[in-house]
Amino acid sequence: MSFELILFYLFATVLTVAALGVITVKNSVHAALLLVLTFFTAAALWLLLQAEFLAIALVLVYVGAVMVLFLFVVMMLDIKVEPLREGFVRYLPIGAIVAVVMLVEMLGLIGLKTMSAQALPADPAGASNTAWLGKALFTQFLLPFEVAAVILTVALIAAVMLTLRRRVGVKSQDPAKQVAVKASERVRIVKMESASKGGTP
Amino acid sequence: MSFSIQDLQLILPEAFLLFAICAVIAVDLVIKPAQRDATHWLSIGVVVATLLLVIIDRSADARGFSGMFVHDAVARLLKVFILLVTIAVFVYARTYLKDRKLFVGEFHMLVLFAVLGMMLLVSAGSLVMIYVGLELLTLSSYALVALNRDSPLSSEAAMKYFVLGALASGILLYGMSMIYGATGTLDLQKIHAVASLAAGSSHQTLLAFGLVFLVAGIGFKFGAAPFHMWLPDVYQGSPTAVTTFIGSAPKIAAFGMAWRLLDGALGGLHPHWGEMLAVLAVLSLAIGNVVAIAQTNLKRMLAYSTISHVGFLLLGLANGTPSGYAAAMFYAIAYAIMSAAAFGSIQLLARAGFEAEEIDDFKGLNQRNPWYAFVVLLVMASLAGIPPLFGFFAKLLVLKAALDAGMLWLAIVAIVFAIVGAFYYLRVIKVMYFDPPETKDTLALPQDIPLRWVLSINGAALLFLGLFFGPLLSWCYRAMGAG
Amino acid sequence: MITLSHYIVLGTILFCISVAGIFINRKNVIVLLMSIELMLLAVNTNFVAFSRFLGNVDGQVFVFFILTVAAAESAIGLAILVTLFRNRATINVGELDSMKG
Repeated sequence: MSFELILFYLFATVLTVAALGVITVKNSVHAALLLVLTFFTAAALWLLLQAEFLAIALVLVYVGAVMVLFLFVVMMLDIKVEPLREGFVRYLPIGAIVAVVMLVEMLGLIGLKTMSAQALPADPAGASNTAWLGKALFTQFLLPFEVAAVILTVALIAAVMLTLRRRVGVKSQDPAKQVAVKASERVRIVKMESASKGGTP
Repeated sequence: MSFSIQDLQLILPEAFLLFAICAVIAVDLVIKPAQRDATHWLSIGVVVATLLLVIIDRSADARGFSGMFVHDAVARLLKVFILLVTIAVFVYARTYLKDRKLFVGEFHMLVLFAVLGMMLLVSAGSLVMIYVGLELLTLSSYALVALNRDSPLSSEAAMKYFVLGALASGILLYGMSMIYGATGTLDLQKIHAVASLAAGSSHQTLLAFGLVFLVAGIGFKFGAAPFHMWLPDVYQGSPTAVTTFIGSAPKIAAFGMAWRLLDGALGGLHPHWGEMLAVLAVLSLAIGNVVAIAQTNLKRMLAYSTISHVGFLLLGLANGTPSGYAAAMFYAIAYAIMSAAAFGSIQLLARAGFEAEEIDDFKGLNQRNPWYAFVVLLVMASLAGIPPLFGFFAKLLVLKAALDAGMLWLAIVAIVFAIVGAFYYLRVIKVMYFDPPETKDTLALPQDIPLRWVLSINGAALLFLGLFFGPLLSWCYRAMGAG
Repeated sequence: MITLSHYIVLGTILFCISVAGIFINRKNVIVLLMSIELMLLAVNTNFVAFSRFLGNVDGQVFVFFILTVAAAESAIGLAILVTLFRNRATINVGELDSMKG
């Protein structure tokens, strides 16, 4: 058993256990943190396949952005856990049975024999996985790349439309005004009579 | 491999639309809320201009951007009708949205982005393009459903739509990954070549396995039974203006996607997917038509009727011949036009604080306004498939294609359920003509002249296209290369 | 020696876990969304593995797009969730039953 294979089994076990944890733990925050672990291990497994760029992108995009968003929402919404667990025990056996039956069927169907013999070929990317991906991305996949940019714009517009609210009576800063301020507006020099203790001498 | 200037020429309508959307966003940003009509008319102008660009384009069929973008007769035909239906959607929406204080620039932007997604989807030449085009369409649709963010109904519908839509995307992608694993390419044309070669080889199981997930994903996106759970709630919960949109044009795009995937890429596996689609078609026809009878909410009834129409559409796709595809395409277009008119008439009757979405709200419409009662009559009769209307010929063509392909039993099942289905459409007609109105006042129609005109034209088109369906039919046949 | 089937089996296991998660967490929308993220991870693992073993770049590029689009998707999904919570004060799917028929 090679060192790589040992690593594979180690990561695969952690991945499976963490993924099972995501769907079974009580607390949504714990589930989110377990999902972070799942993504980290998945990234490690992709590294074993020499898919360096995607492994790092997975950590950056999912752990860095998507999961933070999840945690943010979980904590922002004050969710009572108990009612959400109703039916959990009831659905657990059927869920487990469905999953196991599906797993067996799918593994049988895919026909493990057909591809088990295939060993890892030499890395087609050569030295740099990123360069390999980048070349394909900006030549052959130029059009979907542009469309992906449009999709991100749509997400931006939609998220702002759904959640931005202008409340009345909220005191907020206006940076433009703060920057444009003049010294004469900040300090007002007031002429005052010099005051003295007691009455006139 | 690399990019050339000819590619830009192929994609001119889409590129124009994208830049025009950016212009609409910029204009909407600077105008005052009171001048929002400017955004509205500008958006309609953008769609009309894009439509003209699609129509005047006479260049030969070609593939651009390394095979990512396909420019052919089917794509052009589908784009023309997607854009036409979108114009009607915009016109119908104006008064309805204004009455509910939902007349915001985001509605127009998101609809335009969705249209861009649909145009890319029907022109997709690769699994990547199918995915990004579809997501552009669905992400915009999720946000549109939640447009009325203060309505519990609307956000509930959006949540259901989102969860099931994301699930459908996941399933679709899983199927795509298997197909990629079996063929080693994402290009639909190359998949077709490899998949035909692979018959009998060990990759065949992997391919068939991916196909199951692909068909399930397509079923979800279409709203075919048994993957239809989201559809009634989404139709009922969204603002009617949004229902009009998601219930009409995206069905044309969904047809385009299904055709590109099933025939374009996996045509060699027709024996497998033909049967799966036939099962989905029968289930959709049965569930859609039977459950629709029990509905009192018109939007919900139309949602179940959508499921049954999807059944007809899948029946056309299932027989896997060019004439079957042409019939399904004709059906998708006919359905989109009828559906736009049906939801449009709900918007015509709706007023501030009154949704007009119960069937009882249509009571005595004939006494209140005979012309619009007649328009609704045309729409309902066409949906029911009564000759000589548009919907009748659409059904007839699908049935004829099914009979030609030897699917006698399927055709009989479809006819039986179409007759069952006619009942609930006729109930709406009965309510309009024979029941006394609940209010005495004559119908105060909105002073929205474009709405009234476009709805009248839309209704009349159902009669006109029913009587003179020849040109459209031969266009569909020519595009599909059927005799 | 790691083979392709190691990764495909792992992808299948992940996919089944995500389906089970959707089955048993019918009430909690947040965990439903997390299950869908797991499903996408299964898809991505498949694509990366196929791409590496076929020596073809397309699969990895597809993963790039899935990551991008899924990030946009979760942003919209969570925005809808926040709107829903504001309107209904619940994320319990069981209570989302105002439409029947």
